[in-house]
Amino acid sequence: MPAPIIEISHLAKHYGSFQAVRDLNLTVEQGDVYGFLGPNGAGKSTTIRMMMTLIRPTSGDIRIFGLPLHENRSSILRRVGAIVERPDFYNYLSARRNLELLGRLSGADASKSNVNRVLGIVGLGERAESKVKTFSHGMKQRLGLAQALIHNPDLIVLDEPSTGLDPQGMVDMRDLILELAHDHKKTVFLSSHILPEVELTANRMVIINRGKTIIEGSVQELLNAGRLKVTIETTDVPRALEVLRATPNAEWIQSSTDQEIIIMLNRQDIPPAVAALATAGVPLRAVTPVRSLEEYFISLTRESA
Amino acid sequence: MILTAYRVEMSKVFSKWRTFIGFMALAFLIPVVVIAMSVEGGKFLNFATQGLSQNFDINGNLMNGYAVAFIILSSLYVHVPFLITLVAGEVLAGEAAAGTYRVLLTRPLSRSTMVNAKYMAALTYTILLVACMAALSLGLGTSIMGTGDLLVIRQKITVIPVHDLLWRFGFAYSWAALGMITVASIAFLCSALVENAIGPIMTTMALIIVMTIISAIDVPLFDYVRPLFFTTHMNGWKLFFDDPINWQRVATSFSVLLLHIVGCFVATHIVIRRKDILT
Repeated sequence: MPAPIIEISHLAKHYGSFQAVRDLNLTVEQGDVYGFLGPNGAGKSTTIRMMMTLIRPTSGDIRIFGLPLHENRSSILRRVGAIVERPDFYNYLSARRNLELLGRLSGADASKSNVNRVLGIVGLGERAESKVKTFSHGMKQRLGLAQALIHNPDLIVLDEPSTGLDPQGMVDMRDLILELAHDHKKTVFLSSHILPEVELTANRMVIINRGKTIIEGSVQELLNAGRLKVTIETTDVPRALEVLRATPNAEWIQSSTDQEIIIMLNRQDIPPAVAALATAGVPLRAVTPVRSLEEYFISLTRESA
Repeated sequence: MILTAYRVEMSKVFSKWRTFIGFMALAFLIPVVVIAMSVEGGKFLNFATQGLSQNFDINGNLMNGYAVAFIILSSLYVHVPFLITLVAGEVLAGEAAAGTYRVLLTRPLSRSTMVNAKYMAALTYTILLVACMAALSLGLGTSIMGTGDLLVIRQKITVIPVHDLLWRFGFAYSWAALGMITVASIAFLCSALVENAIGPIMTTMALIIVMTIISAIDVPLFDYVRPLFFTTHMNGWKLFFDDPINWQRVATSFSVLLLHIVGCFVATHIVIRRKDILT
C-alpha cells in the first residue's frame, strides 16, 4: 500500500498561551480531493503554513509523500504547488514575468510556451503582459492557481481558492479542481469554510475547530451522518407543526414565519416526513434542505457533546 | 540553485523604479558638480588654500579632474548611504510588506539560499552604484578639467603627483564600496527584522546620523566607543591619500568594517531561519 500523500500527526502550534493548532491529525491519500474545513480562525491557514514550511510547528509531525517535511523540504516542495491565503505577487511585474521567475525557482520549464499554457488553463492568456497591479482580486486568485501549477506538481494545496471570485469564477475554479484531480491525477488539498464548495469537489474531508480535528472521513458519509436544517414552506403552519411533531427523529421544530417551518432532520428522514405531510393534506409549497458549515458544525459538536 | 535565485533577485531589483533613483541622482549631481567646478573651481581652490597661500607658492592646474573626483567622493559619501538603503533595506522587508514571502518560500529553495541570493543582489547594486560614481567622477572630471597633481589637506598637506594617483583612487573607491557594503549589510539586517520597507531605511540612516554625531563630539567618554563605530571607518578611503599610507590603520579599519558586514550577514541568516512567515 503506497504511503499517504500527506500525514499529519499530533500537530500543534502555539503563540505564547494561544493555541492556534493543537493535536491535529489527518491523512490524505493519493488522488484525493481532500476538503479541509473549519470556520474562520479554526487554524486552517496556520496548518497550511506549517505544511508549506512558512512557520515551524511547536510539536507534531508532518510527512508529505511519505517523507518527513523538514528533513526533505526542497525535494517535497518541488512536487507541491500552493496558494497560501490571499494571492500576492510582484505587482510591478507582468503576469508572465511573475510566472517565469517563480517557475525558475521551482525548477520548472519557464519557457514562453509553458507559461502561456498555464495562463491559458486559468483563463489569463490575454492578460499575460499586463502588470499584476492592474489585476482584480479574482484575477490574482487565478494567477495564484497558475503559479501553483507552473511546475506541474503532484500535490496542490489550495487555501480558500474561491475567495473573491464571482459566481462564474467559483464554478470555473471548481471545474478546474475536478479536472486536475480526475484528468491529471493530482492530489488536491482544499481548504475552505464553504461546505458546498467541498461537497461538490472533495471525496474526503476533515473538519477542524479551534485547531483540533473534529471529524475526518468520506464526504458523503460525513454529510449524510449529520442532521440537516430543513425549511418547509406551507400555507397551513399549525397543521404542519402537528404532523411534524409526530414524525420520528424530528428535532427542533419551530415556525420562523407564518408560512415557514424550520426542522432538523437526518437526510434519510426527509422523504417520510414529506410523505406524512402530504398524507395529512398539508399544502406544501417547498421543502428545502439547508446546510451551512456553521450549522453542520454546530450539529456535529452538539452530537459529540 | 543559488545562481538561479540570484538571477531572479536581480530581475526583481532592476524591475523596480526605486533602483534607478540612485543612478539618476548620481547622473544628475556629478555632472552638475563637475561643470560648476570647471567654471568656478578657481574660487573654490582659493578659498580652500587661503591659509596656505601666505606661506606657500601654489602653481599649476590643481583644480583638475582628480581634485573634483576627490571632492565629490568626500561630499557624496554622506548621501550615497541613503541611496543604498533604498534598495538594500527593501529586499527582504519588501517581500514581507507585499506578502510575497508566501509565494517565494513555498518554492524548493532553502531560506539560506534565498538570503544569500538577495544579499548578493543588494551587494551588486551597491557596487554598481559606487562604480557609477567612480566612472562619472573620474571620467567626466578628467575629460572636462584635465589631469594634474592632487593637493590633499588633512592633518598635513600632501601633494600627490599625477602618476601616483590612479591606484590610490582605485583603493579609495574600493574602500567606498566596502563602506557602502557595510551600510547595505546593516540595512539588510534591519530589512529582515521588520515587515515594512520604510523601517530599515529610517533605522539605518538614524544609526549613521547618531554614530556620526557621537564621533564628532570631542568628549573623552566617546573615545572608547568611537573606534567601534562603522561610521568612523567608512572615511578610511582618505587614508589612501596620505603619504606614506598608514597600512596599520587601513588594516584596523578594514577589520572593523568586515566584522560589521559578517555580523549583520550572519544575524540576518539567523533571523530569517527562525522567522515565522505570518504576512
